[in-house]
Parts: sequence; C-alpha cells; structure tokens
Amino acid sequence: MTRYIVMRILSALIMALLATLVVFLIATQVPADPVLAQLGDLQASDPNMVAAYREKWGLDQPIWYQYFVFLQGLVQGDLGISLATHRPVVEDIVQYAPATFELATVSFALALAVAIPLGIAAAVKRDSWIDHVARVIAMLGVSAPTFWLAFIVLALFYGGLQIAPGPGRLDIAVFPPQRVTGLYLVDSLLSGQWETFTNAAAHLVLPSIVLAASVVGMLMRTVRAAMLETLTQDYIRSARAKGLSKATIVLRHALPNALIPIVTLAGIAYAILLTGAVMTETVFSWPGLGLYTFRSAVALDFPALMGITLIVAVIYLFINLVVDLSYTVIDPRVVTE
Amino acid sequence: MQEILISRRLLLAGFASAVAAAPLRARAQGRASVLVLGMDISDGRNYDPARMSDLTPPLTNGNVYDTLVTLHPGDYATIQPMLATEWGLTQDGKAWRFHLRKGVKFWDGGDFTAEDVKFSLDRMVNLKDQPSAYASNVKSVDIVDSHTVDIVMNDPDVPLLMNLVAPAFAIYSKKLSTAQGAVSGPGADKSDKATAWLNQNSAGTAAYRMVSWERNSAVTLARNPHWWGGKAPFERVVIRHIADGAAQLLALRRGDIDAAFNLNAEQRASLTGSSDLRVEETASLDHIYMTLTSSAELNKALASPEARRAVAYAIDYDGIINGLIGGSAVRPASFLPIGVGGSTAELTQQDGYRQDLDKAKALLAAAGLPGGFEFEMSIANAAILGTNYQIIAQKIQSDLARVGIKMSLKPLDPVNLRTLYNGGKTQSVITFWNTPSPEPSLWSTASVQRVAKRVHWDVPQAMHDLVARASTARSSSEQTKLYIEYQKNLIENANYITLMQPIYRIAVSNKIKDFNATGAGWYVEMKKIRPS
Repeated sequence: MTRYIVMRILSALIMALLATLVVFLIATQVPADPVLAQLGDLQASDPNMVAAYREKWGLDQPIWYQYFVFLQGLVQGDLGISLATHRPVVEDIVQYAPATFELATVSFALALAVAIPLGIAAAVKRDSWIDHVARVIAMLGVSAPTFWLAFIVLALFYGGLQIAPGPGRLDIAVFPPQRVTGLYLVDSLLSGQWETFTNAAAHLVLPSIVLAASVVGMLMRTVRAAMLETLTQDYIRSARAKGLSKATIVLRHALPNALIPIVTLAGIAYAILLTGAVMTETVFSWPGLGLYTFRSAVALDFPALMGITLIVAVIYLFINLVVDLSYTVIDPRVVTE
Repeated sequence: MQEILISRRLLLAGFASAVAAAPLRARAQGRASVLVLGMDISDGRNYDPARMSDLTPPLTNGNVYDTLVTLHPGDYATIQPMLATEWGLTQDGKAWRFHLRKGVKFWDGGDFTAEDVKFSLDRMVNLKDQPSAYASNVKSVDIVDSHTVDIVMNDPDVPLLMNLVAPAFAIYSKKLSTAQGAVSGPGADKSDKATAWLNQNSAGTAAYRMVSWERNSAVTLARNPHWWGGKAPFERVVIRHIADGAAQLLALRRGDIDAAFNLNAEQRASLTGSSDLRVEETASLDHIYMTLTSSAELNKALASPEARRAVAYAIDYDGIINGLIGGSAVRPASFLPIGVGGSTAELTQQDGYRQDLDKAKALLAAAGLPGGFEFEMSIANAAILGTNYQIIAQKIQSDLARVGIKMSLKPLDPVNLRTLYNGGKTQSVITFWNTPSPEPSLWSTASVQRVAKRVHWDVPQAMHDLVARASTARSSSEQTKLYIEYQKNLIENANYITLMQPIYRIAVSNKIKDFNATGAGWYVEMKKIRPS
C-alpha cells in the first residue's frame, strides 16, 4: 500500500513536470514577444531598455537554459518571479489561491448536496415527475453559459430582488479578517468576527451557485445511472424479498455499491471547479486564480503560467490519487498493489 | 497599453438594460463619508510612482500625490501651479527653475522641501523602470534653496514642462520613503527596496493617501489630515475592482458604488431618465487609428499614396462613431487629439478625411487601380469602449467594398499583433495611442519616428524639421500653425487614419457632486468630489 502511494506520487510529479515542459514549449513558440506585453510603447522602442529588460528576466538566454533555470528554482520551491507583477509567483499563487479554493469547495459541497439526493430520487422514481425535473435541472446546468448564468443571478438576486450582496468577497464597509489561511470563512471564525463571517458567507452564495451549476448536471446524471444499474442487481431483489424498507435498500444496499463511478466523477468535478472558475470570477470580481491565469496568459508571463500549470497538474493528480485510494475504502474487494 | 476589454461585455449589455431600474438602497450609516468608485483595475501591477506603467494606477496616484505643475480638467494647454507656485527658464535657458509652495506637509506631518523634489525625480530616473523613459530629458535636479529647485535639461530644445504634469512625476516624502528602503542615487535599480511598501501606501501631499491595495479587489485611500488645500470631503475613498460593466451598473443602481467607469453605450443608455444617476463626460486624449503600410513588399497597391487616400475617403466615420459606439467619441484630423497642439473639430471638418465615394473612386483611378485592390487588416481580439475591434473593422470592410477595395480581416491575440505591428510586418492594423501627458511632441515625434517605421514611411527631412520646429516653438500661435501644417502633411500621406478619440463617459450617482472628470491621465480630481 505504502509502495503504491509512493509510486503514484512519483509518477504524478513526473507528469506535472512534463505538463510544465509542454506549456513552456508552447509559450516560447508563440510568435509574440513577452517584452512587448510588459513595456509601454516608448520604452519598447528604446533598445537599451529592451536589452536591460531581457537580461533582467533571463529572456536573452537560450530556451533550454530558461527551462533549466525554472527546474533549478523548482527544486528549491521557487517558481521564479512573475514578469507582470514583479513578485515571486509563489507569493502570487498563495495570494489568489485561497479565494478560489474557498469558492470551489463551497460550490462542490453545494453540487453534491443537490446532485446526490436528486440523482437517487431520479433513479428510484424513474420516469416520474421528479426524474423529469432533475433532467431539466441537469440540462440547464450543463447548457447555460457560465457568464450568462452569472449575470442572470446577479441581476435577479442582487439588482432586482436585492436579497443578495454584490460582486467581491466582502461588502465595502467590511474589512477582511486577519489573514491566517486566506479563507475568509475560516479566518473570520478564528478571529471571532461573526459579522465578517456572515458577510463572507453571503457573498459566496451567488458565485457558488453559478459555479456549482456547471457540474451539478454531470454529477446528478452519473448518480442516477449508477443507481439504476445497482437497483437492477440480484442482491437488491433479494433485499426486497427479505422485506427490507425501501430506505434501507436504497441507502444501505444500493448506494454504497454505486459509489465508485460517483466518487471518480466527483473528483473530476472538484478539479474542474478549482481550475475552471475564470468566468465566474470575472463577473463576480472574485480575486482568485482564474483572473490571475487570464492576466498571465494575456501578458505572456512565462513564470506565472508555468507556476499555474504546475498547480493545476498537481491538483488533478492529487485528486485522482485520493479518488483511487478511496476505492479501497468504498469497496474492500479493490486491492492496490 | 495592455488593457484587454473582453468582448463578452457586449453580450451582457443587453441584459443590463433589461433589468428594471431598481430603487437605490438606503445608504448605510457611515457610508456617506466613504466615496466608492467602481472600475476594472485588474491591469494594475505597480503603484510605486517610479515603476507605474499601466492604465489604471494613475487614478490612484494622481489623487494621492501632487506634482510640481498640473492641468485643470478640460484645458490641456494651460499649465497650472500645484506644488510649484511659479516657474520659468533659467537665464542660460538650460534649466527650469521652480519656486515651491510653502507650508505644505506630507500626510505624516513632515515638511515638504526641495529635498523631496530632488529625491523623487532622482529615484524615478535611477530606478530605470518604465517611467524613467519620460524623464530622458532630465539631466539633473539641483537644489537652489529649501524652496527652489532647478531641473536641468539634456536638450533645452526638447519640451519638458508639460511632461511634469504626469502622475509618474509624483513628489513624495524623502523621509517616509527612505525609512522603507527607498534609494534615489545611481544604482537605485539594484538597491531600492521600497516598491513593496509603495504598492500599499503613498507618501505624498495630496488630499488623500493610499492605505491599502488588495490585488484584483480594491484600493483604499484615507483623508490626509495635513492636506494644504483644507479638509478633503470624504474620510475614505475605495476604488473597487468590478471587472464587468454590467455588474458595475447593478452596483451603481444598488448604491454600493458612487461611480461606474466601464459602462458601454447600451448600459449608459439604460440610465436615461433616471433621477438618481447621471452621466459625466470628458474627452480623452487617446485616439484609435488605422494604419496603412507604404511597403510595396507587403502590399503593392498600398505603396501608392493615392490608393491609401482612396481607403481614407471611403470610410464612413460618422457611422462608426454614432452607430457602433453610441456617439462616445470625437474625431481629430490626424495624429494629434482635439485639445492638443491646436487640433480642433473644425480642423477635421475642414481638412480631415470624410466619406466621399466619388473622390475615393477618382483616387483609385489616379493610382492606376480603377477596379480596386485587396489588402489585409490585422486586428486584436479585444475591445475598445465595449465595442470589439472586429466590429469596427467589419464596418470599414463593408465601406471599402463600395468602391471595390477588398479588405480581409486577420484577428490576432493582442501581444501577437503588437509584435507583428512593431516589427513592421503588417499591411494594416487598428490600434490605439495614449500618452502620459498632453505634451504634443509625444504624438508628433512618435508619428515621424518609431510609428513611421512600423508603416515603412520614409519620412522626408522637411517633415522631421517641421515637427522639431513645432515642438520648440515659443509662442502658442506659432506652434498651432506648425502643428496644423504637420497634420495636413499626415492627411496627404495617409499612412495613419484616425478613426476616433473616445469620450470618457462615467455613470455617477446624484449623491455626489462636483465630479471633475479629466482627460489628462488620472480620470477624475477626487479632491473636488463632495457629497450632495
């Protein structure tokens, strides 16, 4: 088991490095000059300033050497300095990641809370009204463009009904809590600021609904399909024959056996939420990684792009590892070696 | 110069107008002493005056720092006193001498003297970051006495004074900033450590001071208790990052913000008839222009000036400004915006391009291309004033088709486009121009030097001389005359076709008054805004 985990982590790290190599090669082959993304018109026409800039950021070095420097820094936990913000990439990521993590996690919890009960109900009451309602919700969630949905909920609940707060993580009059984790919900509780906590929670409602909508359909359909399959198994019929209650059959006998595809997909969904919040973050002015990624890509900020790629790769690989390991807990018949 | 406005806003505009005008929420207690401005500030990378290079940080820095001299909103020709009360050339003509305002204090209570001027300008030059390019004519800053300072020029014939109004020439406290590691001497680019602090705090003399910057979230200013102009009207000012125009409009209607900077034409139109909100406007000094190359290698037809002029006379300029961007722009004759160097709307009427299809056809015939010709226009996947470059380009495409000119469109990522354009590899582009201050030579010199190279225009010596004479002209009537001649030459040459000069239109709550929007570079004079 330990050996399995070590091997998985090692292969995951190699995969993550390969991902950075791919991004690096793509970024350096784009026919655009990063210096022109950083310098103003007058500055970019001054050969001395351009040369000094290239030297300062190592852009005058051969491509393989630039990648080597990146790897060298990486070994020491240093992702380099962002060309755009002039700050260490690690510092930037540490600054923006908590906002995204908080949003994605709340969205994930919300998505599960909606998708699992609805998916089960849709499977148990197949072709009933609840199945149809669930199908419509799934279709809407999958097909509504995120930026459109984001604006509709904002216009309706913030602008129209005035029952939800607007863009941003907090109201203007509310100051951020003392930073410990960067997660406002956690930090405000740690410092005992109840008002800040409720304000931050209220600000999370709309963006997390919008973000959750993008995965809730996928999750719900998977739960339904997995449940439908297990519900036709012989042991379910036996359970029914024994006269067990419907709740016991569904929750104790069918659900645990349907969990493997559900957990696999839930893992993917969580990774999607963590890495795919650009649109939601833009409309809700959420200072997270999505906006940082967009800005870095536009500015051809190589160090930042490599850092983000590495983080995204690590998130996916880590979640996959956790999912795989969870199989042994869900189903003791699954053995890792 | 790297601001990217996402085309998505166009789509959102429709929804914004669909939302019923919601009643403004009652202002929470204490909110009245806070001014909240909503703006997309995600481009900001530095607020250190000596490193600042993006489009939106001047909104903050222009209001937390004073400069030696300034400009009043709407008048971009008359230099006004600020930290300097009087100025003039020294007897030898090689330096500007400034007499400094007495009794001015920084926000920490420290006295403002000539030492601070020298420190700030030396640091700007020696940090060698982007703003230093604007100070290339500064040879040295010499202290005469505690309230007199000379700025010695490398070349007295190159204009300097007007540059000093730019927020990059902010004057800050030597004492406050050196305590945070600021260094002003040679080698400052290696040894200065103050940027991190100056990104979160200011060290100036203005009505407000910066107290925090949360990246992609907000910049917060507080009242400067020692301001030499009296008591600033608000206790705090918050510049709130709201990327999306539609979301800004909602926040403005809800009363969460007092002004929205990034609304497009449809969003602003939805405010018509509102008793709570109004639109403030001021002409910007930016312009959006189209280029045509002179290089026969890139396009044989465009190498002919007649063919280029045919393009210029086939475009429906009014249709672009009124139809596509809701009338939010004026149009200068050529490469000098209206309000600078004697450029006026009348000049455009008289000498500028206008749509004249017969003239365009005659010019095509004169170029030996009676059946028209083909060329390619490169455009960025970006937007200006909420309108995609692509939509503007498509309009031009259909205008040109009426005289038989076939223009194909090549959309590119903005940095790719800039790389190709700066390298002189494009037949035609649409792009925009802005400068750090309204010094006319910042437009004219560039247009005959670095921008000319991008369009392969072999500029005649007479044109270089004309630009040099105009920038050094001592009387303003003489200067205006020379700049008009300069613009006429550009019109004749037709390498640049100026499409529009945007008007900034800012939606403002009626809870505030005296909203002094300015086109000089810092968007608004916060010190003048008051609660109604």
